[in-house]
Amino acid sequence: MITRPMIAAVLAATAAAASAAAGPLQVTSSILVESRAAAADGTTRIALVKPSKVTPGDKVIFVLAYRNTGTQPLSNVVLDNPLPRQIAYRSANPGSPAPDVSVDGKTFGSLATLRVRSLDGSTRPASPNDVTSVRWRLASPLAAGSQGQFAFQAVLK
Amino acid sequence: MRAGVILKIRANTSRTRASVAALFVIVMIATGFAMAAAPSAARAESLAGTVIFNTANLRYDMDGGTRSVTSNTVTLIVAERLDTRLVREGQGVITVASPPALPTIIPFVLTNADNGTESFVLATSISSPAMTLRTLAIDADGNGRYDPAIDLPPVDATVPALAPGQSITVFAVLVGTAEQSVADATLTMTARALTGSGVPGSGYAGRGDGGGDAVVGPTGATASVVVPLASARAGPALIKSQSVRAADGSQNAVRDSVITYTLEARFTDAVTGARIADPIPAGTVFVPGSLTLDGALLSDAADGDAGRFDATGGAPADGAQGPGIAVALGQVAAASVHTVQFKAKIQ
Repeated sequence: MITRPMIAAVLAATAAAASAAAGPLQVTSSILVESRAAAADGTTRIALVKPSKVTPGDKVIFVLAYRNTGTQPLSNVVLDNPLPRQIAYRSANPGSPAPDVSVDGKTFGSLATLRVRSLDGSTRPASPNDVTSVRWRLASPLAAGSQGQFAFQAVLK
Repeated sequence: MRAGVILKIRANTSRTRASVAALFVIVMIATGFAMAAAPSAARAESLAGTVIFNTANLRYDMDGGTRSVTSNTVTLIVAERLDTRLVREGQGVITVASPPALPTIIPFVLTNADNGTESFVLATSISSPAMTLRTLAIDADGNGRYDPAIDLPPVDATVPALAPGQSITVFAVLVGTAEQSVADATLTMTARALTGSGVPGSGYAGRGDGGGDAVVGPTGATASVVVPLASARAGPALIKSQSVRAADGSQNAVRDSVITYTLEARFTDAVTGARIADPIPAGTVFVPGSLTLDGALLSDAADGDAGRFDATGGAPADGAQGPGIAVALGQVAAASVHTVQFKAKIQ
């Protein structure tokens, strides 16, 4: 059995410096890797830790933590992350809402609704490897002082 | 001193130097293509030391307007994975002869099999004292052929850095040392990544390309090849080669073309009673007056000089099975070479 501790707890220790941008909404980007350890009760515990020795084919977790540091609610919050060229999208991290994805940076939706156009003009269903950007929308305003995070799994090409 | 040595060859079993050379050319070309293809093959993998930057963007509405903010930029350095591949060119048991026979050259292809720029350390061991490693050499000009003037030994047995996927040819140059023959010796060649090797997954913090980490890949970053060796019995060796000249000046083997046969006898020890006998190949006739020993003409008759042409081949003591030449070298000094030449015309 595998248990996943709250990512936020790990982030507190490993997150990179918080956004320098002043303003009521702050977002912090982190790249982490899974560290598996056997627990005393026989289960395997997965922690997200600072990456080292990441080589092609390895799984990495992108974590985006946001926080409203202001005094009023913020509406229509949209968070997007264009993927670095060397990164192949895989899926939302367990516990995180699934993002809308895009294969062209313009049209966003679930992967199943997207198609990729080939050089000869024909199209085919999009695969995770085609994803170039991910995006989340908060359905309701973000109250003052509240926070949350999104995370997705990817593979180093 | 060894006495009564008779060197005989049969034309139909002796492989000429010319055909061996042709074989080398083919192998060389094939190797050249492989080496050219490897680096140009599209590498989908991220190279070691590549820095990956990630920044997220946030948009929100406040006070009736849309604002945007970017996250911090987080970086990830692709670690260097260490993998080594070593294969031998050719197969089978390699025979190593003692001087004055030529050294034995065994080519290996070393490949940097992963995503970083890496040097490799070579180590060799030979299981028998009957042969010894004279040197290792890197095929500097990439022609697949050992040239002592160009292909130099690696410094500290370390091959200079290879790009990801790059291959080079390494020659092991062996010579025999003893007189007794050994049939079951081996040469073991090992290459390991200079940064480190061992259990796959072992890490070397900060030792990878671009200041990233290095990690041992699935090959353990080490590779070994064992080459079975046999030592040729130290003693005389006879090397036969040929050249063809047609009437039109070409090298075509057509009717009336003249074949010049060269028999090079190499002796390790002083011997007495050495003789060279060689039948004239079927389909050819001996060219009268063409027999020489070390450049000096020998008459065809069985007379005072060392050589003769026997048109009948009726000398069973020499093992001759038809017309052939015979040259008596007599007393031969140690570590000496004698060359016999004769011509035959294609019928």
